[in-house]
Amino acid sequence: MVKQLLRLKLRLMGNAFKRSPWQLVGLILALVYGLSLAFLVVGSLFGLRLAEIPIASTGVTVFGSLLVIGFIVVPLIFGVDDVMDPRKFSLYGLPNSKLASSLAVTALVSVPSVVVTLIALAQIVTWSRGPLAVLLAILGAPIILATCLLCARVFTSIAAFLLSSRRSRDTTGVLGLVLLILVTPVFLLLLNVNWQKDGPAILGNIAAVLSWTPFGAVWAAPADAAFGLTGPALAKELIALATVAILWFAWRYLVQTMLVTQQRQPEARSYRGLGLFATGSSSPTLVVAERSLTYWFRDARYHVSLLVIPVIPFLLMLPLIVVGVPGELLALLPVPVMALFLGWTIHNDVAYDNTAIWLHVASGIRGRADRFGRVIPPLLVGVPLVVVASFICAPLWGDDRILPAMLGTGLGLLLTGLGLSSVMSARFPYPAVRPGDSPFAAPQAVGSASAVIQGFAFLITVILVSPTLYLAFMSLAHPGTFEWQSLGCGIVLGALFLWGGVAWGGHIFDKRSPEILAFSVRN
Amino acid sequence: MLKIEGLVKRFGDTIAVAGIDLSISAGSFYGVVGPNGAGKTTTLSMVTGLLRPDAGSVTVHGIDVWSDPVAAKRNMGVLPDRLRLFDRLTGAQLLYYSGALRGLDAQTVATRTADLASAFGFEDALNRLVTDYSAGMSKKIALAAAMIHSPRLLVLDEPFESVDPVSAANITQILRKYVDAGGTVVVSSHSMDLIQRICDDVAVVVHGAILDSGTMDEVRKGKTLEERFVELAGGRTSPEGMEWLSSFSD
Repeated sequence: MVKQLLRLKLRLMGNAFKRSPWQLVGLILALVYGLSLAFLVVGSLFGLRLAEIPIASTGVTVFGSLLVIGFIVVPLIFGVDDVMDPRKFSLYGLPNSKLASSLAVTALVSVPSVVVTLIALAQIVTWSRGPLAVLLAILGAPIILATCLLCARVFTSIAAFLLSSRRSRDTTGVLGLVLLILVTPVFLLLLNVNWQKDGPAILGNIAAVLSWTPFGAVWAAPADAAFGLTGPALAKELIALATVAILWFAWRYLVQTMLVTQQRQPEARSYRGLGLFATGSSSPTLVVAERSLTYWFRDARYHVSLLVIPVIPFLLMLPLIVVGVPGELLALLPVPVMALFLGWTIHNDVAYDNTAIWLHVASGIRGRADRFGRVIPPLLVGVPLVVVASFICAPLWGDDRILPAMLGTGLGLLLTGLGLSSVMSARFPYPAVRPGDSPFAAPQAVGSASAVIQGFAFLITVILVSPTLYLAFMSLAHPGTFEWQSLGCGIVLGALFLWGGVAWGGHIFDKRSPEILAFSVRN
Repeated sequence: MLKIEGLVKRFGDTIAVAGIDLSISAGSFYGVVGPNGAGKTTTLSMVTGLLRPDAGSVTVHGIDVWSDPVAAKRNMGVLPDRLRLFDRLTGAQLLYYSGALRGLDAQTVATRTADLASAFGFEDALNRLVTDYSAGMSKKIALAAAMIHSPRLLVLDEPFESVDPVSAANITQILRKYVDAGGTVVVSSHSMDLIQRICDDVAVVVHGAILDSGTMDEVRKGKTLEERFVELAGGRTSPEGMEWLSSFSD
């Protein structure tokens, strides 16, 4: 059966390439990326052979633990699409233990397993210091591979199994993001450590703890042996073996239960009345806006866009703080960055509707109503956001006189971006995550188009806003000169581009609506 | 009422619809039958303005669908097959949205929603998200959304698929009444029995071409529609070489 399942997996991969050459490019990229990462790590592991034992021990243990944790966290958060889901074999009546072991073996055929194999072999070189260390390292190599792959199998299945209902999938993606945001302070804390002075000691402590956990034990055992600590070395090797055994039984148990358990049915929530539609408006523009806004509230894909926007400025600030850019300059960053991204949120809005867009096509609404309706929600969010953020950031800059220029830049970027997005989403929709999929899932059909379109949209926005930007820069250099002109320029030009974008985008929608639908059917 | 002339659609090398002509008069309950992949959905999509034809014309009430789409679509109610709905809306919201896009005011939508809900039997589901509906329920809500603006022409692609028999009977009755009042219905299906029972006229589509069309009696020629269809479409194979199926493995 192992042979058949291996062949099945290879065939599935082969067929994916037949679907589109981009899949092949994707795999090659993943392989190149994975291998270069692997060689980097392998090189470091070879290098650590020459390092002193404590340094090598700390490095290998911390890195190895992170690797194992990665194999747990990534499938849980991103919900990897599992082609070898045990449930797919439920109708063939295969014996459980055989199915479990065969599926585990097929996991060997993947880029991550190649990478892990290389790393697992390289750590033998690091520990070629004495017979017991080598022995434990050689024993450790297959344990490392088994631990990583079984972790991936077990946690992919847990993710697929427990989080399979729509509602839980809606929340896990967002949960992952919140987690990411919570982890950021930890990174900030780590950034504040004086690594030159205290680094080795702190890492050493972390490694000492990790070496007794299932994540780090297998990596640390040979190090202890090299030290001559035979007892702890053997104990850690035992912990590693026990980990693999537990993972194996967990995997078998999961396969067994998954085969006979029904998919979870989401409990349907009940809503009252018409929600936003209760305003009773019957203008197409307004109902499109109400529908769009309802989606901003209910659809995880929009939640992610909204949650990311306040985070982006801080992510951009992080490296700037590290290289020592003064805080006042950083205060100029949030408003334009958030405005730029908000204006950009709807540049692929049509693709988010997927084939449901047929309703707009069949009802023959004017393209302008469709375009303007979609602009209203980000306007409702964006204008107050820009105003509030400007009032917060201007004092941080240290000179309140900058406020009008900051408002002008923010509003200009927001309005212009929305106008441009209205044109882009009608003319150049590209595949997006489908409704109901995890917001972090990759769209089914990927291509290079999306990257080009995104970059293009950003560039054009900045060019269109450049008069306002110029005035704002002038007022930065010479306070008390062009602040109000910058505000006026931002609002007037922005409104003009928004109006123009909606009109042009609406015209494109009127002409091309069947093609837009045809595009969404293909995805 | 509905006039289709020389309709052609190609997808790459395959010809999905190879020149269809059809004329459907007002007040007709018209069935389009054909095997899977015959081009039924493609044809109906081109009729409703959802898919641009490569050649040919579609005229509804004297208005060309592809040169004046806005006017032509106003009097058309559409149920496409296998396209999504805005399923993060509740049933009631989806009906409101469909009605408002067609220019109905809030009061009208409210009364019609109540009527449609009781006629199709989804009163309990109105406040649930459409994404949590079963396949049959989604079909019913989409059907309701298609007729909420009381169009003159209803184009329904596989309206009875996965709908339970009681609801199907209700829907048929509603459509019949609509036709008797002067409305026109075009339905596609591969259920011959159903089409034979409910339709006045029928067209048989195979490989993107019409093999026969006319009143039900003309097309049937005294046989059941299914027998006549198999005769027209061909491709019935006698089950030879399948003896192993009856030699059970244990």
